Amino acid sequence: MKKTPLHDKHLALNAKMGEYAGFDMPIQYAGIKEEVLAVREKVGIFDVSHMGEIRVTGTSADAFLNWVLSRDISGKKTELVSYAILLYEEGGAVDDLLAYRFQESGDYWLVVNAANKDKDFAYLNDILPVFYEKHPEAVKDVKIVDESEFYAQIAVQGPKSPEIMKALLEEFGEAPEFIEKVLAMKGYRMQRKPNFKGELSMIISRTGYTGEDGFEIYLPAAEAGRFWDALIKLGAEPAGLGARDTLRLEAGMPLYGHEMSQELNPLDAGVGFAVKTDRPFIAAGNLVQHHKLIPLISEGRAIPREGYPVFADGKEVGHISSGTFSPTLGKGIAYALVDPAFPDEVEEFMVEVHRKEQPFRKTTAPFVRRDR
Amino acid sequence: MSVEIDVRNDRVYTKTHEWVLVEGDIASVGISDYAQKELGDLVYAEAEPVGSELSKGDVIASVESVKMAEDVYSPVSGEIVEANESIEDAPDQLNSAPYDTWIAKVKLSDPSELDELLKPDDYRKLCEEAQ
Repeated sequence: MKKTPLHDKHLALNAKMGEYAGFDMPIQYAGIKEEVLAVREKVGIFDVSHMGEIRVTGTSADAFLNWVLSRDISGKKTELVSYAILLYEEGGAVDDLLAYRFQESGDYWLVVNAANKDKDFAYLNDILPVFYEKHPEAVKDVKIVDESEFYAQIAVQGPKSPEIMKALLEEFGEAPEFIEKVLAMKGYRMQRKPNFKGELSMIISRTGYTGEDGFEIYLPAAEAGRFWDALIKLGAEPAGLGARDTLRLEAGMPLYGHEMSQELNPLDAGVGFAVKTDRPFIAAGNLVQHHKLIPLISEGRAIPREGYPVFADGKEVGHISSGTFSPTLGKGIAYALVDPAFPDEVEEFMVEVHRKEQPFRKTTAPFVRRDR
Repeated sequence: MSVEIDVRNDRVYTKTHEWVLVEGDIASVGISDYAQKELGDLVYAEAEPVGSELSKGDVIASVESVKMAEDVYSPVSGEIVEANESIEDAPDQLNSAPYDTWIAKVKLSDPSELDELLKPDDYRKLCEEAQ
């Protein structure tokens, strides 16, 4: 099994480990409930070094990525991070990702799901000749490089994340102007320090997968340990993949393989905000909504789980795509995947949990709001 | 990684980490310290209803942590004569006091089944090997 550069740290912290996307990853440390609440109330840190980083460069990189992604990620200023979906021609999702734009044009980083990284890399390489064929005017100089193994990634998430980031960067002697820029960033912005260690950069973005304020730090693999240790010394609580998945569902965010897949396109997954169809792109004309997500909350104690059947007015109308106990709300929460024509007025649902139908009520996503 | 696992000498166990404490023809059933540690903070627990007739290996209860839903299997055959309703309000008792928190009581229909269950030393060995 593969290990992240922080693997030894997790073992030293006595984390419960488990396999995820071929990596031996921390599932939990103190306990999922405690870790979720630490992120909601203070600050937690996650080792997400298993995520993939794919570099796409070249004169035609802008045009290529705009064509193969669900929205244009060029044409805006640099230091911008865009959430987008890598698309099949038929409209299905290869992956969802964050696109980091490093320069005015021609230099991007795609941060992708660990479980999809190899598939994404192969797909980009396979689809590039198709792009050239359809765009004879394009300069054939796009380079696609898998940089995943060179970088560690630490997510710092929670309302106290700005304070701890300031203390961390001061402790490591970063220039006051850089620290100021990092703290002044709005959401989905980034700061990059090129040649941070040799050839590699340090990148800090105001992004995350928890619904809280937070930062994601990309570091050369060898630097990760001292950043991790310093963050813990400054009071951050280590949080594992169990808490991460719980936090993302509380925040109403889709997860590839659950709400999105080759069969479930971005419109099905409820991320239409990241889709622009009135332009030439790979899936032009093929993005049609086939499913709809309904956020549900338990009326009793029942906890919905992936795959459980969902009923309305005595008829089976769909199934749960993701479900969990929400430590923040103290209730079971889930997304139900139903037909897009299913009436919006229906508020009452039943979910089969432990061989019994249990009452659920339609709610709104995000299940947990930052301004709660 | 090695975590201290509590195994009590006053009862018998299953390979699937249930415990059984017998008084007369009534068997109290719960989950072991190993099981509660594996599951993590429990947020849901409910026994099958009183009156249910179970064969050995049938589901006697469901327990869930934030990310996991697990069935608890009856180590013995018989009728559920009592279900501990307090675990529905406070499933965390199963974490804090797994051996003081029975889940259900079963009236044994075949006491000879008890001989097939694991003695404390054998169960201790099983937990050590599983770690």
